Amino acid sequence: MDASSSTSDRHRLVRLDESLWEIPARARADMRVPARVFADDELVAALAGDRSLEQLENVATLPGIVEAALAMPDVHQGYGFPVGGVAAMELPDGVVSPGGVGYDINCGVRLLALPLGERELGARREALVHELSRAVPAGAGREGPLELAAAELDGVLREGPRALVARGVGREDDLERTESGGRLPGADPAAVSARARERGRGQLGTVGSGNHFVEVQRVDRVFDRDAAAAFGLAEGQVTVLIHSGSRGLGHQVCTDHVRTMDAAGRRYGIELPDRQLACAPASSPEGRAYLGAMAAAANFAFANRHALAHAVRGAVERVLGASAAAGTRQVYDVAHNVAKVERHGGRDLLVHRKGATRAFPAGSPELPDAYRGAGQPVFIPGSMGTASFVLAGLPGSLERSFGSACHGAGRALSRTAARKRIGGAELRRTLEAQGIVVRCASNKGLAEEAPFAYKDVERVVEVVERAGLAGRVARLVPIGVVKG
Amino acid sequence: MGHPEDVKAYRFAEHGGEVELELEAPTAAGIFEAAVAALAELVSAGADGEPARRELELRGEDPALLLVDTLNELVYLGEVEGFVPERLEAVELAGGRLRATVAGRRGRARPLVKAVTLNSLELAQEEGSWHGRVVLDV
Repeated sequence: MDASSSTSDRHRLVRLDESLWEIPARARADMRVPARVFADDELVAALAGDRSLEQLENVATLPGIVEAALAMPDVHQGYGFPVGGVAAMELPDGVVSPGGVGYDINCGVRLLALPLGERELGARREALVHELSRAVPAGAGREGPLELAAAELDGVLREGPRALVARGVGREDDLERTESGGRLPGADPAAVSARARERGRGQLGTVGSGNHFVEVQRVDRVFDRDAAAAFGLAEGQVTVLIHSGSRGLGHQVCTDHVRTMDAAGRRYGIELPDRQLACAPASSPEGRAYLGAMAAAANFAFANRHALAHAVRGAVERVLGASAAAGTRQVYDVAHNVAKVERHGGRDLLVHRKGATRAFPAGSPELPDAYRGAGQPVFIPGSMGTASFVLAGLPGSLERSFGSACHGAGRALSRTAARKRIGGAELRRTLEAQGIVVRCASNKGLAEEAPFAYKDVERVVEVVERAGLAGRVARLVPIGVVKG
Repeated sequence: MGHPEDVKAYRFAEHGGEVELELEAPTAAGIFEAAVAALAELVSAGADGEPARRELELRGEDPALLLVDTLNELVYLGEVEGFVPERLEAVELAGGRLRATVAGRRGRARPLVKAVTLNSLELAQEEGSWHGRVVLDV
């Protein structure tokens, strides 16, 4: 049988417990480890509609992978790795795969909490969303507010948002409430090509397109009062969730290094079921060059969300006053698409998270002091019109998923199918009828991100909690959205 | 060389998260023309600037990678130079080299396509016809 062929009967999932399923390593001759999926019955049934399980099996063939190729409950078909995939490779010689991080390196989310409730916001809500749409460039490519000279860009690539604080953009306390302090170690600006720099140079502080957004929300319900208090969240409070990444700079870094690895893999005797899994040993010259460039692009993405948050504070100041802007506090910023060196089970591993979130539990030394008793904040954006969730990492994440949880609801329909079901103008009217203020330049883009195009976020979060990866802290409901 | 437009085709296949192009043409050059036409449909909405042209010359022994490089070049030109492609003309594809002219407009490309992937990449001749498959990250 062709190892890379896709037939539904081949993906014989064995249920290990109420929220974990496995395709044994013996299912394919080239699988080195099992493929495991966190899901319930309905989410597993939905996987028959795409090729995500085949892609997860392909990941299980990569040299150096340990324990299992993992899929979070929001998994869906991607390119190479499935979106919602986690794979840990043993160092020093396990592989690094640029496609296992993705083109939007360090796509992620940042949550801001405003010092006021929805009632105080009152009639100024539409004005706030409108001002946000003016303050945060969305959709197009190169009109960010921060044009950087080459040396300044190098500083951002090396230091992340810290380089912007020195320019008066954002605040020092934002940095400690950012994953890895907003700076991945080992960043090598010299490994970022001229073409990548050119694409990214004018894009700092821009949202981008696709599923990226800035959303104004209300804390609808608190599940864990202690954790919510630690995160500074209370029912009724207004929050702003920012979803963006490394923009064209990151896309080009991935493009460059996938091509390098595509050629290099053959030299290292690596056979792959899909060329997009192109990889090389992390210790090889190609592997080290990618990791240096990836860290630089990740730092750029942290800086991008930092600049966006600065723009949000500016909009808050213009609509709600200086005091509200000064009191707008960053809850946390988490990455969705990165590979990080972490220690799990006494081994140094390179953990690829492609559409997955780090979810370290309480007590982790990597967390800021204020959150060490609660666990790492994990943000699970829903789709437009549905709730998003704040969770906190639980010990089960370290035991079962290399300290990871899901990153969103996960697509259930293709973009084409979504557009066939509803037009952008009709969706805009539907959302506005629900009391959600919408600003989006493209009706076509709006339709592709319709709520029904995604899985049920409540179900996804329930599985994450039942599996012991992260626990619910609060539910946020949208009251306004600026779409890329 | 290229061939009449009515015998090359592209189709957007169902894909769970990204955009997958299925391409058919009588010649390998026609596959490149069809791929650029498909990309243009995705990114050119509303582009009404001055007509513009770009000359492409790309090298590579693997024709499938050359197809990826061609599309990636247009993603780059759209983002950095504000060049919105409409069609590929005067295609010469031989000896590991592609030369072609891209007709388009100056303007703002819809920023939909992040990159062109190697996932499920195909470019092959079967029964006298060429077919290709490319997945775009969007």
